[in-house]
Amino acid sequence: MNGLDRIRLGAAVAIAKTTTAIVKGLKLGAASVLPGSIARRIHPHILPLLFEQVRLGVILIVGTNGKTTTSLLLREILETQGWRVTHNATGANLINGLITALLADTNLIGTLRTDYGILEVDENILPLLLKDCRPRYILALNLFRDQLDRYGEVDTISRRWRKAIAPLPAETVVVVNADDPTLNYLGQNLAQSSGQTVRFFGLSEPKLYLKAIQHAVDSIYCPNCGASLDYQGVYLSHLGDYTCPSCGFAKNQPDLDSNDWGQILIGVYNKYNTLAAGLLAQEIGVGRAEINQAIQSFKAAFGRAEELTVQGKHVRILLSKNPVGMNETIRAVHDIQAQGQSSVSLVILNDRIPDGTDVSWIWDVDMEQLVEQGGTIIVSGDRVFDMALRIEYSPHPEDLNLIVEPDLQQAVDKAIAHTPATETLHILPTYSAMLEVRKLLTGREIL
Amino acid sequence: MSEFELRLGWLYPTLMSTYGDRGNVICLQQRCQWRGIAVTVVPLDQETDPETFKTVDVVVGGGAQDRQQEIVMRDLQGAKADRLRSQLDAGIPGVFTCGSPQLLGKYYEPGEGQRIEGLGLLDLVTKHPGLNVPRCIGNVVFELTATPLADDLKAMLEEGQKPIAIGFENHGGRTYLGDVQPLGKVIKGYGNNGEDGWEGAFHRNAIATYSHGPLLPKNPLIADWLIQTALRQKYQQAIELTSLDDRLATQARAALLKRLELPTLAEKS
Repeated sequence: MNGLDRIRLGAAVAIAKTTTAIVKGLKLGAASVLPGSIARRIHPHILPLLFEQVRLGVILIVGTNGKTTTSLLLREILETQGWRVTHNATGANLINGLITALLADTNLIGTLRTDYGILEVDENILPLLLKDCRPRYILALNLFRDQLDRYGEVDTISRRWRKAIAPLPAETVVVVNADDPTLNYLGQNLAQSSGQTVRFFGLSEPKLYLKAIQHAVDSIYCPNCGASLDYQGVYLSHLGDYTCPSCGFAKNQPDLDSNDWGQILIGVYNKYNTLAAGLLAQEIGVGRAEINQAIQSFKAAFGRAEELTVQGKHVRILLSKNPVGMNETIRAVHDIQAQGQSSVSLVILNDRIPDGTDVSWIWDVDMEQLVEQGGTIIVSGDRVFDMALRIEYSPHPEDLNLIVEPDLQQAVDKAIAHTPATETLHILPTYSAMLEVRKLLTGREIL
Repeated sequence: MSEFELRLGWLYPTLMSTYGDRGNVICLQQRCQWRGIAVTVVPLDQETDPETFKTVDVVVGGGAQDRQQEIVMRDLQGAKADRLRSQLDAGIPGVFTCGSPQLLGKYYEPGEGQRIEGLGLLDLVTKHPGLNVPRCIGNVVFELTATPLADDLKAMLEEGQKPIAIGFENHGGRTYLGDVQPLGKVIKGYGNNGEDGWEGAFHRNAIATYSHGPLLPKNPLIADWLIQTALRQKYQQAIELTSLDDRLATQARAALLKRLELPTLAEKS
């Protein structure tokens, strides 16, 4: 860093920190984005300069689902090693949010004192970020169809990622999900032609195969030649064990055996999150015993399999923000219903910017899984009638009790009242709905 | 109505179902089943024998990502294309959303790469202005104007009510119509290209539209029109459908129209 850079960085940091203090002092919000935005105006190259100062390197986490849960687990593992970790814990994963997170751990002259940066990154800004920032690790979790109104299409995204990662230095370590054909292909490509170290995680447990391929599936075509992939079995969505009958493209042998690993929380999707964080921690050099310890003591992030007790009733919130995510939360609820431990669910559908303004994705969700065992379903949210209509069109027993309640407070009250004391109420909200419902349940704001 | 049955052809289900498009299939299937009309869903894709295209009574097609769309367009040629074309020319009803109209048109020019030839059934062309031009995204409301569809729908509505469709559009490509009827006139949203005020296209009994949502569950009248038309074509007689409880759809429509400040367009429930 040259002298001028140092001065401008110092000025940017000072002003940004003042902003944070003002915003928080006046209770205008949690200041998770604005300071970054201001600092970036003063010093456009602030982010690469901050990256350089992270002592042991920045870990970028990308993917449609699981970024927050995986980050939190990884953070917990690294902190057990005594390392200082900076993390954009509020989920603000665009450029200004990343700057704000790193700035929070700098002193007033712009010196960042941290060992590892764990940054959850929006899938669409990864290419922009990699133009001038140098992470040490990149962890690619999965690529599902999510909010296409914002993100465009899965193929386009993976193509852009490949272009952006290829020029990175050879010491960069890329960890990808081998069960996701698009990412496995990306990993193979990088390993062969760009020289980065690539590691693969994935499941090797045929007993977890789904009976049928879910509808919300994006890539069952070979990312190399376009032929239909042969699946020996599917774990969730298009994640599974596959080969291409035409060009021979196949899943890489994972660099760990999932049979030897426990998992955090509930659901197959959290098994993937566990393996992803575990493999990356191993790459960094953390021992298995310490990793296992962190897995066992892990508590859920807000709204992600988070458990609460409200008016004496046990409540579990399962963020359901896109077809694949919701299919998996429904799968988890379905199993609990089948054990007779849950008969009431509250589904909340919003269509605000963080949710995606297009709600057509609910028709890609296998909703009949949730309603086929009957019970009570309460629907609410900005798009309450769209969700009600989706359920009406899902084959269900005649005695299904569908309650349509546009008012969220009322919907929550009804859901709690209907839940027997011995059972768990499951709440399946979109992102903004999760923030709202959590506030109603706990009386506290999170962001 | 258990004496009737329909075969519902679904174009490339695994390749062309990007924006909840299977909702259209679910909607038609359920509305038939609720009335006791037996429905068989027939996938029309790479593995399908071209002759099967001749056996369906109504066709549904959805949207695809660019690469998937290319795979479809390579496959839907020759005998398959001829069968589908002659079916639709003969008056088999269909609903084609998002990528499907591009498929039925003359050609599609993607943002990157080569022009893709379409079936040429509809006189329309689609051009993608490039990835740097914003996509057309948002809730869309339009009045159906195509004949005879619009008149048929008016007859199903209360006296004096306009046939209004509600959906969500999200497309990069811009579509320009040649010698083909538009489906309707845009009230809110972009429509075919955001310039000329038209939405979709209509040929014989085939509906082509950018409006997903999916289209049919929130526009049950259009769903019933498709069913009725399919039955009439198949059995060569006018068949009255038993009415269904559509209160939730009516409420969903009213809520959205109110939000878009178009409350007067809502039907009375």
